[in-house]
Amino acid sequence: MVNRFIYGVDLLSRTVGHAFAWCLVILTLGTSYEVFVRYVLNEPTSWAFDFSYLMYGAMFFMAGAYTLSRGGHVRADMFYRLWRPRTQAAVELVLYVIFFFPGVLALVISGWNYGYTSMRILESSVNSPAGVPIWPLKMLIPFGASLLALQGVAEVLRCVQCLRDNNWPTRLHDVEELEKQILEEHAKKAEQEAAAGAAR
Amino acid sequence: MIDPSIVALIMLGILVSAIMIGFPVAFTLMALGVIFGYWAYFQPDQAFFDNRVFYLLTQNTFTTMNNDVLVAVPLFLLMGYMVERSNLLDKLFFSIQLALKRVPGSLAVATLITCALFATATGIVGAVVTLMGLLAFPQMLKAGYDVRLASGVICAGGCLGILIPPSIMLIVYAAMAGMSVVQLYAAAVIPGFMVAGLYCIYVMVLAIFKPHLAPPLPKEEGNVPLGKVFFMVVQSFVPLAILILCVLGAIMFGLATPTEAASIGALGAVFLAVAYRSFTWGRLRESVFLTARTSAMVCFLFVGSATFAGVFGYLGGQAVIEKFVLGLNMGPVTFLIVAQLIIFLLGWPLEWTEIIIIFVPIFLPLLPHFQIDPLMFGLLVALNLQTAFLSPPMAMAAYYLKGIAPKHVLLTQIFRGCMPFLYIVLLAMLMVYVFPQTVMWLPKAIYGN
Repeated sequence: MVNRFIYGVDLLSRTVGHAFAWCLVILTLGTSYEVFVRYVLNEPTSWAFDFSYLMYGAMFFMAGAYTLSRGGHVRADMFYRLWRPRTQAAVELVLYVIFFFPGVLALVISGWNYGYTSMRILESSVNSPAGVPIWPLKMLIPFGASLLALQGVAEVLRCVQCLRDNNWPTRLHDVEELEKQILEEHAKKAEQEAAAGAAR
Repeated sequence: MIDPSIVALIMLGILVSAIMIGFPVAFTLMALGVIFGYWAYFQPDQAFFDNRVFYLLTQNTFTTMNNDVLVAVPLFLLMGYMVERSNLLDKLFFSIQLALKRVPGSLAVATLITCALFATATGIVGAVVTLMGLLAFPQMLKAGYDVRLASGVICAGGCLGILIPPSIMLIVYAAMAGMSVVQLYAAAVIPGFMVAGLYCIYVMVLAIFKPHLAPPLPKEEGNVPLGKVFFMVVQSFVPLAILILCVLGAIMFGLATPTEAASIGALGAVFLAVAYRSFTWGRLRESVFLTARTSAMVCFLFVGSATFAGVFGYLGGQAVIEKFVLGLNMGPVTFLIVAQLIIFLLGWPLEWTEIIIIFVPIFLPLLPHFQIDPLMFGLLVALNLQTAFLSPPMAMAAYYLKGIAPKHVLLTQIFRGCMPFLYIVLLAMLMVYVFPQTVMWLPKAIYGN
């Protein structure tokens, strides 16, 4: 039950993160298009500037929960990584309560007021006459923050499981940084070689 | 009533302890900002959610979301991830190595140049170190190079990418300090190449005077006709160099904003991958998802740090620090040395993102008091952060290399191999300080004053 909840939240965060990640491709193409029409056709667009931060803002903010579920938010693990999993989980459980939920929950509620106010007047950008709507970006704040809070609950449950089993539960599979892939492959190969050597 | 500035210092103390325990920094910053901000802005007749801190938090979030400097970060990341996955590196290294065959310490110099170019395009330290660790490290060991020298070359070369423009670190610095990316890039060009050049000179001098550390390749090996070598260099080195020069040139000569240049760079990297027949949709997907994650990591730090800094300043924390530092009666040189020393020490446990976004802002308001140019300070920080990857105990570059190196290579050997390069970085910092023209000349030549 708890497991299914954790995996469900992971899956949700990942799906949303992946979906919004494609904003990046739209951003690349849109901005390149702007450069093209400005220099080749001599007709700069009026929407490119607002468009660029809309795509960027949506992408990174909605990837926050996804990044958390992959353990991607930067931390100084000089001491942390030396501890046993049980100690890690106990410390992290406490720290989630003190240092995670206050900020994120505040963002959920105040973000809702902020986004709702903006949506009611269908706020648009004042940067250009194109009047690019910016209320959707503001409205994303409560949603992204809620997802982050939900992922935080899943992480807390992970800590509880780890306290029970003395070991961190496994995570969903996903792409990893190249160095991590290479290091893992290398470790696996070395292990196999060692096993083969022992068998001989 | 407690003195607010004492509360601010308590807040800073809790932050530092929480970071050291190892909780994700972005959320710690946010939570501390909200908790202490609630106390700071508390008014007895207000409803709970009318407290100003909630508005501050949301406003800071949105300001990060529509920050027109940070937009370039994901685009440069995408470019980097695409170049990293384009199977370019082995061709690049092979051709440069053939071209430099007659140079003393040729393998090490070729490694440094490959690293510098590749790292400049990708801007991701870990990938360059591991890839080069698999590619160049075994070759250097086979050729009889000293283990320490070979590891130092790879670790130091891999870190150049965060310094030489177009680097992501300088964008983050510009966004945090409210400076112009363009100026910072122009300022970083000469120091960046200077460090790379000093590395190469060091290796060559070492190879001449201590040939047993970097023996020359046997004459009969790699005898490829000159025309073929030239063709291989054109095929592998030139396209990547052109891509970087286009992106950098467009930014520096004002043809495009950093965001636009970065998106052209990302698009160019995709084309490059297609041209090298290594483009797959799977690789693009991987790059896009990794970019989303890394951007979220950097930008959430900004959200947290802005909230924290707002409350910290409101409580008078910044003023206390300023008063304290000015009360020490330091000269500008002493201040500069102390500031850089602190940043150097922070580089042991922390990564450059945390140092730049959280700790460098504390120093910035002090610069005018000491008449230090912000551009100069920024470049010194950028140089200094090279050492963050190379200095034990948390030298990430060394750990990456250890992870893929043959078993007989010890971590202590890698650390000792990094040391000479660490000294070269310190030497470069000294040179930049003594000859400020290295930083100031190019921005002035292009943009006047």
